[in-house]
Amino acid sequence: MSEKITIALAGNPNAGKTTIFNAITGARQHVGNWPGVTVEKKEGSVRIGDYDVNVVDLPGTYSLTALSVEEIIARNFLLESGADVVIDVVDASNLERNLYLAVQLMEMGVKLVLALNMIDVARGRNIHINERSLSDLLGIPVVATNGKKGVGIQDLLDSALRVALTGEGGAGQQRVRYGTEMEEEIAKVEAVLSTARPDANSVSRRWFAMKLLEGDPEVAGLLEAAASTEKVFQQVEASRAHLVGVFGDPPEIVLADARYGFISGLVKRSVRMEASDRVYLSEKIDKVLTNRLLGPIILILVLYGVYAFTFQGSEWLVKAFESFFGWLGDAARAAIPEGLIQSLIVSGIIDGVGGVLGFVPLIAFMFFAIAILEDTGYMARIAFMLDRVLRGFGLHGASMLALLVAGGLAGGCAVPGIMATRTLREPKERLATILVIPLMNCGAKLPVYAMLIAAFFAGNKAGLMLLLTLISWVMVLTAGKIIRSTVLAGPSAPFVLELPPYRVPTLRGLLIHTWERTWMYIKKAGTVILAISVLIWACMTFPALPEEKAKEYEQKTATLTERFLAEPEVSGYFKSEKDINKFVEFRTKLREGRSDELRKESPAFFKLAEVLAAEGGAPSAKDKDPQVAAVAEMYDRYDKERESIEHEKQTAQLRHSIGGRLGMALEVVTRPLNFDWRTNVALVGGFAAKEVVVSTLGTAYSLGKVQTEEATGLSERLSQEPGWNKLTAFTLILFVMFYAPCFVTLVVMRKETGTWKWPAFATLYTTTLAYIVALVVHTAGSLLGLGLS
Amino acid sequence: MQKSAVDKAAPHSGDPLVPSPDNCGDCGALEAGTCLARRTARLSDYRPGDKGSIVQVCGDPEFRLRLMEMGFVKGTEVKVIKFAPLTDPIELVIKGYHLTLRKSEAADVLMTNPEQAA
Repeated sequence: MSEKITIALAGNPNAGKTTIFNAITGARQHVGNWPGVTVEKKEGSVRIGDYDVNVVDLPGTYSLTALSVEEIIARNFLLESGADVVIDVVDASNLERNLYLAVQLMEMGVKLVLALNMIDVARGRNIHINERSLSDLLGIPVVATNGKKGVGIQDLLDSALRVALTGEGGAGQQRVRYGTEMEEEIAKVEAVLSTARPDANSVSRRWFAMKLLEGDPEVAGLLEAAASTEKVFQQVEASRAHLVGVFGDPPEIVLADARYGFISGLVKRSVRMEASDRVYLSEKIDKVLTNRLLGPIILILVLYGVYAFTFQGSEWLVKAFESFFGWLGDAARAAIPEGLIQSLIVSGIIDGVGGVLGFVPLIAFMFFAIAILEDTGYMARIAFMLDRVLRGFGLHGASMLALLVAGGLAGGCAVPGIMATRTLREPKERLATILVIPLMNCGAKLPVYAMLIAAFFAGNKAGLMLLLTLISWVMVLTAGKIIRSTVLAGPSAPFVLELPPYRVPTLRGLLIHTWERTWMYIKKAGTVILAISVLIWACMTFPALPEEKAKEYEQKTATLTERFLAEPEVSGYFKSEKDINKFVEFRTKLREGRSDELRKESPAFFKLAEVLAAEGGAPSAKDKDPQVAAVAEMYDRYDKERESIEHEKQTAQLRHSIGGRLGMALEVVTRPLNFDWRTNVALVGGFAAKEVVVSTLGTAYSLGKVQTEEATGLSERLSQEPGWNKLTAFTLILFVMFYAPCFVTLVVMRKETGTWKWPAFATLYTTTLAYIVALVVHTAGSLLGLGLS
Repeated sequence: MQKSAVDKAAPHSGDPLVPSPDNCGDCGALEAGTCLARRTARLSDYRPGDKGSIVQVCGDPEFRLRLMEMGFVKGTEVKVIKFAPLTDPIELVIKGYHLTLRKSEAADVLMTNPEQAA
């Protein structure tokens, strides 16, 4: 026997499997995905005596029929005998339904230990379980546990280890029998199987036979791969036909019925229930929380609470991250000489890492809020109350939370929104939700709206924002409906949803949950995001301006400087370009506030700088020396002109880059929307993050890098620009609302759907949608003569 | 796999419009509505507070199986607790736990006539 042992944890959702897992493994766990699918796979390790025990948390399932991804994953893991022993965590207060999975596990012939979890709740409800009798009847160890308090965990591990190392616990399979008719047919199929597949042991043969009788497509597929199976299928067909004749129902139905028959026998013999009509606390709570009138009001408050917690609660941390990366960028800018390397490190890498980590507080806060909703049981109530509303659009009751986080209330973010869809188990509804999320008004689109609204719709800001929120919702729901009736057509999954009793979550459980999911984002998405961020930087930087062009601008600056230095008044202060650079440095230092020291260092510079600062509005301007004032004015003019040459150069550089060329090439397509290359290149830049549209527009209009939050200069400029009018602005707003998701969203989408196919589809359909909407609005607007004034 | 359970069950009785003991409790009868006057009802017709026992689960085979696995087997008692704020889906208790089903799905569950719980 090797010293490594694998324990698999199986169990129904809400049976407390996770608390048992946490109790066993503590912090030594990590989360990944099961290969090829998006279901979370949790593993942890613990050392018991001489053994390294690896604990695998199987997805929570109600059964092992191949009806869902989770069930197939759990089943295949067990079939490939990935586990030396299986612990089935059952909710002792809800024993009958939980035992259904246990019976299926026994049918598989796995070595099994039953954990009667939440035994305290069961006892509180006057459900008395005779563990000894249950263990004897099933032929497997049964251990009472309370995962939250850690009661019975050691006992459970000891039993599991004993079972893994000895033959004990595998006896379950013989105990489950289903009546003569059924057993006869199982035996017949088993007999043909043993000739067709003599290699399989008798344990798995019985299970194979049963699955074949149930018409399980997965198992039939497994068998088809093997040779000489024709006889087996003939026997299966004959047996199925026979059983349908006898029972009037197909074998899978008969067997499901028989399993519950077996369970009810078990329960009769080992469980004593004191009947009571007591209304439990959980039901009392539900009387309020899902009440017809109060329920929806509380729901709105809770949803708003999650939203506020995610975005406002995390604000200080987001700010701290931002200022840290801002500081880091400045520090790098100061430490590294100006040029390509500096640009790469500051604009490519630091901004990229900042972009990755900037989402971390949001994601962590949101997952914490979601963990509370899930662990208390309220999440299921959200789905319960909203199902009627969202079903009509092909979405799910639980989609609402993801949509809100993504920007249903303006200012959300698609990245945590997409991650929030993990609460949805139904694959089609989940995918549809993921695909419509990018149409929401996320926080990064708001600066673009704000800048354009300030330029063209200043009088009606609130009204327009409301209109934009409505437009986005209408489009999200419409797109959901269309996607669910085309690309993801098919009836909605049956809404068979358990409403678990309300429970008080443990802080430890919440923190573990939050950390795991956040860490997975950093690890999985981080590297890709950084790489793409560098790529986009390169796209906006290369190829560099040809030398003679760059020289032209340098020449212009040189001429300007010469002319400035030639002024007679100036010569008292500046003798050469060196002095100008010194003065620039001096002013920077002054802004950092070291005035006494600097006044001593150079009284002349100090005076000049003071007057220049006063131009901005400081009070000391009155007693200024007319001579100093004249120099200050000249310097100011010179400084501005030099800056504008620099901005012109940046514009030329941007136009020359791949991004700029792309923008110009796209003019053919965007002419009907009245977007020129400047708008196009800004939209290309917006692929990095939507707010970049503002700063890129700034560069394209020779205003330098515009601050996203204070884009008044850009607003003014655009409102006077001949090519721009209200209609163009509104068209651009709509285009930004709908066009391609930013690449961070796409990377997360890839992680959550497991393939690049869906992000590619999302990019394609959203951009097409954006173009069509923009075209229709612009054309109609032009024809009606709207917004041209 | 099996075709729809309804197709299978319909030919059982001679004339589905004539109620007879053997066509009550099968899905064909449910579809034809002949048994509703007798001792069966659809779960979707239950009001909050009603309880009764399951006679048969109908609908497509996958749905039937899913429900049976959740404990919807013949003779099991079901009690309807409440409707969602927009009257759909419904919340019910079965085998001691709470579950929600859409009305359209509950319509596929054939029940005994409801009795009002105390």
